[in-house]
Amino acid sequence: MEYLLHILILIGIYVILSVSLNLIAGYAGLLSIAHAAFYGVGAYVAALMALNLHSPFLVNVVCAVIFSGLLGALVGIPSLRIRDDYFVIATFAFQVIIFSVLNNWVSLTGGPMGLPGIPQPTFFGLKISSHVGFLLTIGFFCAVTLLITRRIVQSPFGRVLKAIREDEVFTQAAGKNIATYKVLVFVIGAGMAAVAGVMYAYYISFIDPTSFTVMESIFIISIVIIGGAGSLWGPVAGAVVLVLLPEILRFLGLPSSVAANVRQILYGGLLVAFMMWRPRGFLGKYAFQSGEASE
Amino acid sequence: MSSELLEVQQLEKSFDSIRALADFSCSLRQGEILGLVGPNGAGKTTLFNIISGFLAPDSGEAMFHGTNFIGLPPHRIAVAGIARTFQNLRLVRQLSVLDNVLLSFRNQPGERLGNVFFRWKTSKEQEAANRKEAISLLEEAGLAEKAHDPAEDLSYGQQKLLSLVYCLAAKGDLLLLDEPVAGIAPEMIEKILGIIRDLPNKGKSVILIEHNLDAVMQVCDRVIFMDAGAKVSEGTPEDVRNDPRVIEAYID
Amino acid sequence: MITQVLINGVIAASTWVLVALGFSLIYYTSRFFHFAHGAVFMAGAYFTLIFNMFLGIWLLPSMLLSIASSALLGCLMYLFIYHPLERRRASPLILMLSSLGIFIVVENIISLVFGNEIKIIRSGLVEEGFPLWGARITSVHILIVCVSVFLVVATGVLLRTTKVGKAMRAVANNRELAKVCGVESYRVILWSFIVGSALAGLAGVLMALDVHMSPAMGLNAIMMGVVVTIIGGIGSVPGVALAALLLGMAQHLGVWMIGSQWQDAIAFVILLVFLVFKPEGFMGKKIRKAVV
Repeated sequence: MEYLLHILILIGIYVILSVSLNLIAGYAGLLSIAHAAFYGVGAYVAALMALNLHSPFLVNVVCAVIFSGLLGALVGIPSLRIRDDYFVIATFAFQVIIFSVLNNWVSLTGGPMGLPGIPQPTFFGLKISSHVGFLLTIGFFCAVTLLITRRIVQSPFGRVLKAIREDEVFTQAAGKNIATYKVLVFVIGAGMAAVAGVMYAYYISFIDPTSFTVMESIFIISIVIIGGAGSLWGPVAGAVVLVLLPEILRFLGLPSSVAANVRQILYGGLLVAFMMWRPRGFLGKYAFQSGEASE
Repeated sequence: MSSELLEVQQLEKSFDSIRALADFSCSLRQGEILGLVGPNGAGKTTLFNIISGFLAPDSGEAMFHGTNFIGLPPHRIAVAGIARTFQNLRLVRQLSVLDNVLLSFRNQPGERLGNVFFRWKTSKEQEAANRKEAISLLEEAGLAEKAHDPAEDLSYGQQKLLSLVYCLAAKGDLLLLDEPVAGIAPEMIEKILGIIRDLPNKGKSVILIEHNLDAVMQVCDRVIFMDAGAKVSEGTPEDVRNDPRVIEAYID
Repeated sequence: MITQVLINGVIAASTWVLVALGFSLIYYTSRFFHFAHGAVFMAGAYFTLIFNMFLGIWLLPSMLLSIASSALLGCLMYLFIYHPLERRRASPLILMLSSLGIFIVVENIISLVFGNEIKIIRSGLVEEGFPLWGARITSVHILIVCVSVFLVVATGVLLRTTKVGKAMRAVANNRELAKVCGVESYRVILWSFIVGSALAGLAGVLMALDVHMSPAMGLNAIMMGVVVTIIGGIGSVPGVALAALLLGMAQHLGVWMIGSQWQDAIAFVILLVFLVFKPEGFMGKKIRKAVV
C-alpha cells in the first residue's frame, strides 16, 4: 500500500513537471532540455530555506517559484535571437551550468553530498508526514497546475503561443510582441517545475544534484513527447506510463541494477519509435514539425 | 505636417552587392489604392518588408500619419495600423479559420497574462465581442461555414481570401497586400478584387503588389512601376501601361 | 607548471577536435544535431575492449576494427532511422530528438553489458612520459596529438579537393541545387556519417588508451563536441581546430586556477556567449533567424 502511494506521489511530481514543460515546448514550440534545472533549483531553494531559515512551507514554495521563474526568464531570452535547434543547445548549456553550480558550490549546496534532513512541511496548519498526506498535497498542486495551464491554453494568450509555435513572422505582423510571450511562458513553466522540486525535496527529505541532470531533462521532455505535446492531458498520460513502466519491470523481478538501464532503454526506444511513427505522441496535437524551414 | 497617410523617402537597401531599393520614394493618400508592379526582383516585397518593420533600410525615411516609423519593431507597426499579407501566404495552419482571424485583432486584454488570471471576465467579454465581429467578417467573405475548420483545410484561393479577412480584423488604416490574387481561380479573383475595391469606402488605404495587370487596372487608382529597386513610372494605370519606359523594361 | 597545463590543454584539444570534426561534418551536410555521435564515440572505445580483451586480437588491428565498426554503427543509424525520417521531411528538431533517443539506448546497452565501472585497455607498460619543456608527455599523448593534426589537415584537404568533399560542400550549401547538378544528397550524407563516425570511433579508442572508458564518457564527449562545433563554426575545419584549442586551453587553465569541477561550466558559459552573440562561431557562415 505504501509502495502504491509512493508511485502515485512520483506520478504527481512528474505530472507537474511534464505539464509545465508542455506549456513551453508543446504550446509555444520552444523545445527545452533545461527543465531539470528549474526542478532542481526549486528543490534546493526550498531545502536551503527550510534548513537554514526554518521558514514555513508555503513561504518556501513561493520563494522557490520566484527564483526559478527568474531563472526561466534568463533561459527564455536567447530564444529571441536563435533558431530552434540552436536554442535547444542553449537550453542544454543552461542545464549543464546550473547542474555544475548545484554540484560544485559546496559551501552553499553541499555539493555532491547534497542536503539531508529536510524537515516535514506544514500545510495550512496540518503537518504532512504520511504518504497519504504527501499524496494529497501533491494532488493539490497537480490540480492547481492543470487549472492554470488550462486557463492559459484556452485564453487569447494561449492562442498567441500556438501561433508563435507555427509562424513567428505572422504573429509579429498580427501585432504581438513575441518576446514577451516567449519569456513569460518560460517564467511560468519554470515556476511550476519549481513546485515539483519543492515537493520532491520535502517528500524524500534529502536532495542531491544527481536527481537534476541533463538525463532527467531528457526524461521529462520524453514524457511530454510520448504522452503528446500540445494537449492538456498528453503529458499526464505520458507521466503515468513512463513512471509506471520501470515499476512494472521491478515487479517482474528484474534486479535493480539492470532495471535502471532497461528503463532508460525503454524510454529512449519509445522516443525514437514515436519520432519515427507518431511524433505527436499518444494524445498530442503538435509534432515539432511546423515552423520555418531551415536554410 | 503632411496630409499623406504614408510617405516613403529615399529608401536605400542593399543585400551583399545587390541594390534592392535605389533611392525609392513614394506616398499614399488616405483612401487610395496604389498598385506596385514590376518584374521579379524589382524590390516590391523588400519595400513591403521595410514598411512593415521586418527589414531595416540602409538609409531613408518612412512616415505614417506624419510620424517616422523606421526602426520600430514589426509588432508596433502592426498595432499602429498597418496590416499585411505575405507572398508565401502566411497563416497559422494548425489553428482554425476563426482563430486566425481572432489572432489579428489588436489590443486584446486576454493576451496579457495578468488579465488572463485577474481580469478574466473582461477578457472573456472582449473575446466574445471579437468573436462576433470575426464571424461577421467571415460571413461577408463567404467563409463563415469554414470558421471552425483548421486553416490548412482551406483551398489556396480560400486561404488568400482568409488573409484579406485577417487584415480587415486588424482595423488598421493601411493594408499591404502582397499578390492577393496570384495563382487563384477567376471567381475568387473577382471576389477578392470586389472586397479590395470597397476598402476606401471603409476608410482604408491599400498598397498592393501584383503581376496580374488586369487586376491592377481594375482596382488601382494609381500605379507605380518598379525595376531594379527604382521607380520607373508613376501615374494612373492607363498612363503607366502606355509609358514607353515600362514597355521597354518588360521587353528587356 | 604552466607548461604542463598548456600541454594538457593541447592534448585535450586533440581528442575533442576529432569528435567535433565528425559532429560538424555530419551537421554540415545533414543540417541536424546528431547527438548520438557521443554514443559512437563510446562504442569506439568499447569495441576495442571487445576485440582486444575478449577476442584476443592484437591492439593495432583491434583499433582499426573498432574504427571500422564505429563507422558502420553511424552508418546504420543513418540508414535505419535518420534517412527514413528525412524522407518523411522531418524537421531538424525531430531528428535531434530521435538522436537523443538513440544515444540513450546505446549508452544504456553498453552500461548493461559492460557495467558502470571504468575499464582500461592495457597498452603496455605504464609510462612516466617524456620530458618536454619542463613538463611530461606520454607516448600515447604524442600519438593523439599527431593523429589529430594529421586528420584535421586530411579532412580539410578532403573537403577542398576530393570529389566527395566537393559534393559535401555542394549539398551543405544548397541541397536542391546540388541535386540539379546530379549530386544526390543521400550518398553524400551517408559518406559524412561514415567519415564522421570513424573519427568519433577513433577518438574513443584514443581516449580509452590514454585514460579509461566508462558509460559516462559519451555524454561528456558530445557536450565537448557540441561546444567546439558551434564555437568553431559549422563547415570550417580551421574553425573547429581553433575552437578545440581554445576550449582545451580554457578548460585546463580553469582547472589549474579554480579546480577541475568547473570544467563543464566553463565550456558551456563560453558556448552560451557564442550562441547569443556570434552563433556562427569563429569562422562559420552567418546564421540568419526569421527570414521574411
